[in-house]
Amino acid sequence: MNASTHTSVCDRCRTPLESGDLRCSICGQAAPADIQPAAETKITILRCQGCGAAITYDPDQQLPTCSFCKSTVAIETIVDPMEQTSGYLPFTVTPDQAGQALRRWLGTLGWFRPSDLRSSAQLQELRPLWWVAWVFDADCHISWTADSDAGAGRSSWAPHAGQTSVQFRNVLASASRGLSVDEAAVVSRGLDLSVVDDSPTGAQNATIERFDVPRSEARRQVKWSLTSMAERQVQNHECPGSQFRNVRVSVVVQGLKTRRLSLPAYVLAYRYKDSTHRVVICGQNTQHLVGSAPYSYAKMVLVVLAAIALAVAVLGVLAASG
Amino acid sequence: MSTTSANKSQSSSDYVEIACQSCGATLLLQPHLVSTVCPYCASPSVIQRPPSKDLPRPTFVIGFAVDHERATALVKRWIGGRSMFARSDFKRAAPELTRGVYLPAYLYGAVSDSTFSAEIGENYTVTETYTTTDANGKTVVRTRTVTKTEWRTLRGNHQSYVMDVVVTASRGVSNAALEAIEPFDLRGPRRFSPSILAGWLAEEPSRTQDECFRLAHDETVAKVGGKLENFMPGDSHRNLRYQVQLSREVIDLVLFPVWSYAVRYDPDKPPVRILVNGQTGRVAGDTPISQWKIAAAVGVGLMLVLAFVLILALSQ
Repeated sequence: MNASTHTSVCDRCRTPLESGDLRCSICGQAAPADIQPAAETKITILRCQGCGAAITYDPDQQLPTCSFCKSTVAIETIVDPMEQTSGYLPFTVTPDQAGQALRRWLGTLGWFRPSDLRSSAQLQELRPLWWVAWVFDADCHISWTADSDAGAGRSSWAPHAGQTSVQFRNVLASASRGLSVDEAAVVSRGLDLSVVDDSPTGAQNATIERFDVPRSEARRQVKWSLTSMAERQVQNHECPGSQFRNVRVSVVVQGLKTRRLSLPAYVLAYRYKDSTHRVVICGQNTQHLVGSAPYSYAKMVLVVLAAIALAVAVLGVLAASG
Repeated sequence: MSTTSANKSQSSSDYVEIACQSCGATLLLQPHLVSTVCPYCASPSVIQRPPSKDLPRPTFVIGFAVDHERATALVKRWIGGRSMFARSDFKRAAPELTRGVYLPAYLYGAVSDSTFSAEIGENYTVTETYTTTDANGKTVVRTRTVTKTEWRTLRGNHQSYVMDVVVTASRGVSNAALEAIEPFDLRGPRRFSPSILAGWLAEEPSRTQDECFRLAHDETVAKVGGKLENFMPGDSHRNLRYQVQLSREVIDLVLFPVWSYAVRYDPDKPPVRILVNGQTGRVAGDTPISQWKIAAAVGVGLMLVLAFVLILALSQ
């Protein structure tokens, strides 16, 4: 069963309704029912299909139940299935290219890193991972208010208000447990969302993550993600000023279409001396890479000492000239 | 399939006569009920009538999750936990079950579009000097920081979805009485199907759709006002004025599960009605207050004050 089948569209907010939805998740409108109303008054006694006894609703089962054989009658209710991925983005970066990208990156980290970092770092693990995320499109009408420093009078804050319409396209919200929010944000940048396969391709022995939240929780997270996008939009593009507080948004969402995708990334672990560090590389573009690397404490101490020596020297010169 | 001669043009005081499908007994059914149980053979019947404007087919049903015993236990506990001013005979009275009933109510939703204006208070601090006398009685000049508020006018628009506004469609239960046992969890409703009603009482709407629509509309305007209060920036605000336009309004008939109890604490007084939310078990009702207890409490309070004054007077 494909849980993402779009059966119809909400006629108030144009958000697709999915099979099992009785109400629109965005605006709360009831999904249309294909039940014929009674043409005339009629009285029915519901009888059990198995034993013929009368059926009554049972609060313990929360279903109509036969009073003798305890069999139940199914009722259409909101279903809340676990989220299922609907497609896989292929790996276009090979494991070798990922390993080379790590070496290259280790060489570009700057002077404060150990000099032998690039040569001494040992790759310990390189594992392809399909991590899961929601990718959504939505048209948002945002009403907002905020305090900013623009037009401030005696107080350092002045109130502002406005409305704007924004089309969000291909916004990605991570559902991954394996990647942190920051890691997911970096490695999602280099992805081509237009090519989606039905099955995982381009990597061997990959870890395939599954969604581990039900649909209702997914929608809550997507809505939360939309609200925080709207807040950022207001701060960065709508509200005048450079400092903000009390940014409040009311978002009327229209046509929210959500895709559930598995996205490629390499998770690498390398060892430098006794410490292990982790790096995540986008599976379609090695430019997008995030991870940790050791610092050279000896070099840092050296710099601090040099700075102190310089300061003392400058003070000495000033004192001598004064 | 036998059908009754019932039709909804009958006046509301008329009972509808139906024949039990199981034993053939003639049952008299109150016209606003849509399900019954035959008193002779205990067969549960569900009556389906053609929908009309004021009697639409229900869209959703919230199923009973609290059964009879649990509801009774909750009511007993609720009565026991009433305030000390409740009448003692009320706290001793045993609740009598009237019925577990599916109550009709409308679920309303709309898009709200508001314009607002308000004065927004932005705080700032100033350092000011003041003169005071120190511990030695000398006059000294000191400084302190004082928070002041700058008021600025803000005008704007606000748009949002309003959903899950519930208004009663039953004349028997007022909106306030229904609100007292809300909220109902609207995340897991069932699509209406006659089989859910089997064996339970269910009312048809006794208020017109127009009346409920107006009620819901007014409740929504108040709800938007609350949203706007939270929408204002600044450290504080005052003189919030707004106009709300509601569009794309939809109402759906929903059946809510309610246990209704009657508590008769005094043969001369009408019984008190207590409602129990059949989904969550929340209990609400009016508590009869004992005038004697209040008078006694006031008396004791006065005597305490008097005693206190006397002690003060004597100690001087």
